[in-house]
Amino acid sequence: MIPLNFEIQSDEPEPFVARLTREVGSGPADFVCRSQSESRSLWCGDHGLLEIVHNGENIEGDIMLVDPENGRADRVIRATSKHNTLLVTEQCDQLCVMCSQPPKKTHLDRFKLFEEACLLAPAGMVIGISGGEPTLHMDALLGMIESVLRERSDLSFHILSNAQHFEQHHILRLCDPVYRNVVWGIPLYSSDPVVHDTVVAKPGAYERLISSFEHLLLAAARIELRTVLTATTVPGLSPLSRFIARNLPHIEQWSLMGLENIGFAKNRWDDLYADLNTDFSDLAAAIDWAQLHGIATKIFNLPLCHIPQHYRSFAVASISDWKQRFGKSCVSCRAKRDCSGFFEWHPDKLVDEVTPL
Amino acid sequence: MHGLAALTFLGISTLLRAGGDDVAIGRSISVATSDLSCDAIQSAHPAGIRFREVGDHTLVTNEAGRFAMLESSGSQSQSDPSFKLPDAIKTALIPENRLSKLAQTFEAAKRRTRAGPLDYLILVPTLRCNLACSYCQVSRAAIGASGHDWDDGTLAAVLSLVSSLSSASIKIEFQGGEPSLRPDLIEAVINAVPPATTASFVICTNLQIINDGILAIFDRPDVLISTSLDGPEELHSKQRQGDAVRAREFHKNLNWLIDRYGPGKISALPTINPQALPDPDALIDAYSSLGLHSLYLRPINFQGFARKRHASARQTDGSWSAYHERFIDRLIERNFLDRTKVLEETYFSLILRRIFQPGADRHVDLRNPNPVGRDYIVIDYDGMAYPTDEARMLTRSGVIDLSIGNVAEGWDSDARAALEAASTNDGDPTCEKCAYKPYCGRDIIDDISRYGTIDTPKEETEFCRRHLSLFDLAFKMIHSKDPAVRYSLGRWLGLGSDLPAMESAA
Ligand code: SF4
Ligand code: SF4
Repeated sequence: MIPLNFEIQSDEPEPFVARLTREVGSGPADFVCRSQSESRSLWCGDHGLLEIVHNGENIEGDIMLVDPENGRADRVIRATSKHNTLLVTEQCDQLCVMCSQPPKKTHLDRFKLFEEACLLAPAGMVIGISGGEPTLHMDALLGMIESVLRERSDLSFHILSNAQHFEQHHILRLCDPVYRNVVWGIPLYSSDPVVHDTVVAKPGAYERLISSFEHLLLAAARIELRTVLTATTVPGLSPLSRFIARNLPHIEQWSLMGLENIGFAKNRWDDLYADLNTDFSDLAAAIDWAQLHGIATKIFNLPLCHIPQHYRSFAVASISDWKQRFGKSCVSCRAKRDCSGFFEWHPDKLVDEVTPL
Repeated sequence: MHGLAALTFLGISTLLRAGGDDVAIGRSISVATSDLSCDAIQSAHPAGIRFREVGDHTLVTNEAGRFAMLESSGSQSQSDPSFKLPDAIKTALIPENRLSKLAQTFEAAKRRTRAGPLDYLILVPTLRCNLACSYCQVSRAAIGASGHDWDDGTLAAVLSLVSSLSSASIKIEFQGGEPSLRPDLIEAVINAVPPATTASFVICTNLQIINDGILAIFDRPDVLISTSLDGPEELHSKQRQGDAVRAREFHKNLNWLIDRYGPGKISALPTINPQALPDPDALIDAYSSLGLHSLYLRPINFQGFARKRHASARQTDGSWSAYHERFIDRLIERNFLDRTKVLEETYFSLILRRIFQPGADRHVDLRNPNPVGRDYIVIDYDGMAYPTDEARMLTRSGVIDLSIGNVAEGWDSDARAALEAASTNDGDPTCEKCAYKPYCGRDIIDDISRYGTIDTPKEETEFCRRHLSLFDLAFKMIHSKDPAVRYSLGRWLGLGSDLPAMESAA
């Protein structure tokens, strides 16, 4: 696993942003490496000295949120990674049955620091924003996005949101051209309100989501719709695809996501897991209907050999190598390079259910 | 008019309007993007429902392109107190709530063309050609003629145009004449593309001669080869000067290139004389035996040089449409028998996508409105700019001057504006009543070339007749229960299986 935070020491009283560099720095956030040993490195910048405990990982170019009081630094933007996600809050107003990152009650407002970090990001980067539910702090969130994108039009954001908090008065604000660089990743689990509300454990969530979709459509917001594939959602996929073609033709992509054995899903695995390897028919019907109507559809986190041949072109090798795992017989598979494989934390008993292609 | 049709604008459009309240947006902000802006969405108007008899059914469509196929209800009239709006119309066409109303508004807007920056460039580096085919659509010049290639000034202007392209991706097609006579000019254009632009190139060639110069260009991975293949060797030779030796040379070269690159690199178009239609199977075999599974059927629209030799071909009767249909039927039968490959006629696939997928295609032959001289331009051997290749040929043949400018000074001209203003089927009395308007397009150059005017009533134009019949065929097939039809349609639309049944509303 790639460590996303480190133990640190710094004499600065307040939290600050640090960009680690080997060259002599050019900006106030730049920290230059002074010395490095096997287990730690020492950096120097406008905020004084910063000592970081790490096992020789390459952290050069990375941007850290340093919290001296707690002796900790969050590695918020890794220069070499395409998947940087800012966790802007841990609060959430839903409690999805398969949540991979169960929410907490308290919120630590670090938007100003995140903004500073984003402004230092490498050119052209797509920055993920997640939580918790980012739009619980809508004004701070939109404020941060606008400030960053006004100065850095080369950057873009992908924001995961349950879309429970968009109001009519947000339409004008979201019409601002900076939002052409923002994609909202929004989950919809069923076209049946009861099923959707049950999955997200919030009565009325479906109805609230629909009214957000109206506002977002009028704002020409860019939307990636997400549906996690569980024993509850899979049987409703075909009606859901018809609902989407009829009501949400403006989405940029419909992502069908294989279940991750992490967070809440871990203890509920047997209830939640849908065996698509044995029965792909619901998924096939849904993909066909969406494709027919010009809705780009992608399958994430499913190994290629679990997908019938004619649907493999919809699959994305979505699991990055550091959290990816394969079955024993995968060595002989010719499709391995294009295959997502399984998550590192996928149940052991299922990892060998593979058929090399 | 059908009983239902009389009801149209009274009953159903009122229902449409009553579907939900509109959101008033005081200020509108337009954004620079090829996607729909807030502006476009908020100013679009979903409009009328339209009817058409297709076979023994009635097709109903709306401006969003949603449709339903009904059993014809005979002479039932709106004044009949027992008349009820069929449920199929309600579920397919009438928005059920505010979100679906917005969705339809969005789709109606998305079906309209919004041209982005120039990203399709047709260049004619030379008018000279080593052949003089009987149907040649361009006025061509003899192989040794002088003054029929770009001169230094024109080349400089073309290179400056190419190097200042602003779109993220561009397609550049080299036409002629025979462009392979001037690999040096092709090379210069390729090298002028700005590094930030992703470009692909198409060389349209008769494949008579392949020398080292042109082969080096063919070898580039971003270059595709396009040629004419009229069918089996005898037919091909008959249409090209009747010269069997040259036809053999062409086939030898074509085979050699397919061996060298695989079929994916090469596309071929048949040039079909509507007065001498080839047997569909012979044509299909000629293509599929080479590994070419896609064909684009198009009738020759005799222009320029060809018009003099084929004077009878200006107006075709229904025979072309019947041929096209027969051809599609054969593809469907053959696909169902041999599942190892999918044969396809690309114009019919385009028609199908236009029906189901708002805005999915921006094929310049079939879009509405059809912007002129914006995302698409043709630059001739003498630097003159034309809205389409047909416009260039028509001008060359001396019928009418359709040039809209030139490469050195640009083409933001009155001529361009005049053509563009007419380049729409909006407001046309026939189109406005036509159930196919949301999917159809406008081709004023075709009208001008056939009738010398753009005012011929739509229903009398070849363009309209051809498209009415193609859309009729498409809708019959979309609602066909024949498994062979559903099999091919599913593949042509990119699905993993057969086309699903439409009953549950499109
Ligand atoms: S055998 Fe392994 S590598 Fe091959 S498709 Fe299946 S999971 Fe992927
Ligand atoms: S051109 Fe003909 S088929 Fe096309 S919309 Fe107009 S009337 Fe209909």
